[in-house]
Amino acid sequence: MQYWVWTERGEPHSPPLLSCLGWLLFLEQFSLHGSSDLSSNICILKQGWLRWTECFILEGNYVPGRDESAKTDPLVVLEEILTSLIMWFFYALIPCLLIGGVAVLPAPQNLSVQSTNMKHLLMWSPVIVPEEITYYFVEYQGEYESLYMSHIWIPSSWCSPTEGPECDITDDVTATVPYNLRVRATVGAQTSAWSTLQHPFNRNSTILTPPVMEVTKDGFHLIIKLEDLGPQFEFLVAYWRREPGAKEHVKVVKSRGIPVHLGTMEPGAAYCVKVRTFVKAIGRHSPFSQAECVKVQGETLPLALALFAFVGFMLILVVVPVSVWKMGRLLRYSCCPVVVLPDTLKITNSPQKLISCRREEVEACATAVLSSEEPFKAWI
Amino acid sequence: MKAPCVSLWLVAAVFFLCSVRARGLRRCLISMDLHHIEEAFQEIKKTIQAKDPFQNVTILSTSETLHRIKPLDVCCMTKNLLAFYVDKVFKDHQELNPQILRKISSIANSFLYMQKALRQCQEQRQCHCRDEATNATRIIHSNYDQLEAPSAAIKSLGELDVFLAWIDKNHQGTSAA
Repeated sequence: MQYWVWTERGEPHSPPLLSCLGWLLFLEQFSLHGSSDLSSNICILKQGWLRWTECFILEGNYVPGRDESAKTDPLVVLEEILTSLIMWFFYALIPCLLIGGVAVLPAPQNLSVQSTNMKHLLMWSPVIVPEEITYYFVEYQGEYESLYMSHIWIPSSWCSPTEGPECDITDDVTATVPYNLRVRATVGAQTSAWSTLQHPFNRNSTILTPPVMEVTKDGFHLIIKLEDLGPQFEFLVAYWRREPGAKEHVKVVKSRGIPVHLGTMEPGAAYCVKVRTFVKAIGRHSPFSQAECVKVQGETLPLALALFAFVGFMLILVVVPVSVWKMGRLLRYSCCPVVVLPDTLKITNSPQKLISCRREEVEACATAVLSSEEPFKAWI
Repeated sequence: MKAPCVSLWLVAAVFFLCSVRARGLRRCLISMDLHHIEEAFQEIKKTIQAKDPFQNVTILSTSETLHRIKPLDVCCMTKNLLAFYVDKVFKDHQELNPQILRKISSIANSFLYMQKALRQCQEQRQCHCRDEATNATRIIHSNYDQLEAPSAAIKSLGELDVFLAWIDKNHQGTSAA
């Protein structure tokens, strides 16, 4: 036969400081532990937080007088448990009434991180309190902190505090390790509990999208302009001539936003371009973008141009000397005119004839000469 | 005719193995973004170095240790120094200023990532530790232990630019994936 014996043990424990919610957490516990040395099993009834009461289950028959205040009826025990519970309920309510209700604000729920192209956004369900503004505080903890100093949480750069139910944590998550994140809401003097992200976030899980590109041609030059995704992105541009068996050229572009020259195209051919990004920090590529093709004009136009140029050149070759000659003539006449001797001064007899006159005929010659010289002298 | 052919083959094989081994060590830190870590440190460098109480001594002892490391010992030395910073320096330093704390956290977590990358390298190729690297590491540790933990930690933090420059120099040419 078994019977229970109750005794008081030890001094009363002082009640720990509890929040209003805390009293729900402790329950009357009944634990039994025994030892092979003891002839009896000792059971410990935790009566509220104040007292420990030991009870003994003894084998054999109850001997009156051996144990003080023996209670053998289990129903009495249950009654005692109930009264202590009710007592505690009222004890716990007193601080609630005094303080006026602390930490009733619910913690933000449904924390998640959406990450695209290395831009990370922490989002949660908003905590709405009518006619009040809710402020949220975000803290993070890298893998280093969680391993070596787990009590350290670092306030987020942009969200301490923030008003909206989301936070840009790109500047906080700066290494490719798992990060723990937590959020709490504040309305006036009330603060909620911390709500932590269920699975730590590692930035190598970001979604990389095919980049946006603009392919243009400047004459025969193939030009590409890429969107600016930030300094962590490199672009791998592949371009090829659209014909069977053409070789694909690959170019690595690190500059963002400015047009880049890919190569010179041959006339009459079509060229296609596709591009993808590479992020060195996480060692991952994005998928390729859709290929875009451009076609260059054929040879007819350049031929016409060449012909025209040739004709023009020939014209110039003819026109220029003619005009130069004309100009020359004009100039010759204007600055260096030809002097013409008047008819009256012209000697009709040839000079040889005059000189070859013999002596006998000198006078005749001289007279002839004189006759021709006199008008000349008169003229001078 | 056979003997010269065989010796040529042997020489070619030796060259090939040497080049593979050298390339293997150099390819240890492929997707490393040191630039970002250097930027983070530049922002807090002045504040950290100003807090250093013993300006005349150095813990890394660059001329005695880092500059004497040969290419074969680079992997081991990097591994040891990363462990030195992660296990000792960052732990011994208590930072209260949130802005500086953010940058130190960023550097510490980046070092953790580098350690993971090095471990992968270690498994594939041999990151073997020879006496030179072990001795150099010992010098650095003993320099650190001669000072009190907080002062030693802040001094080591101030010398991060030396360490980062050394990594940059020795792990160059790894961008070819």
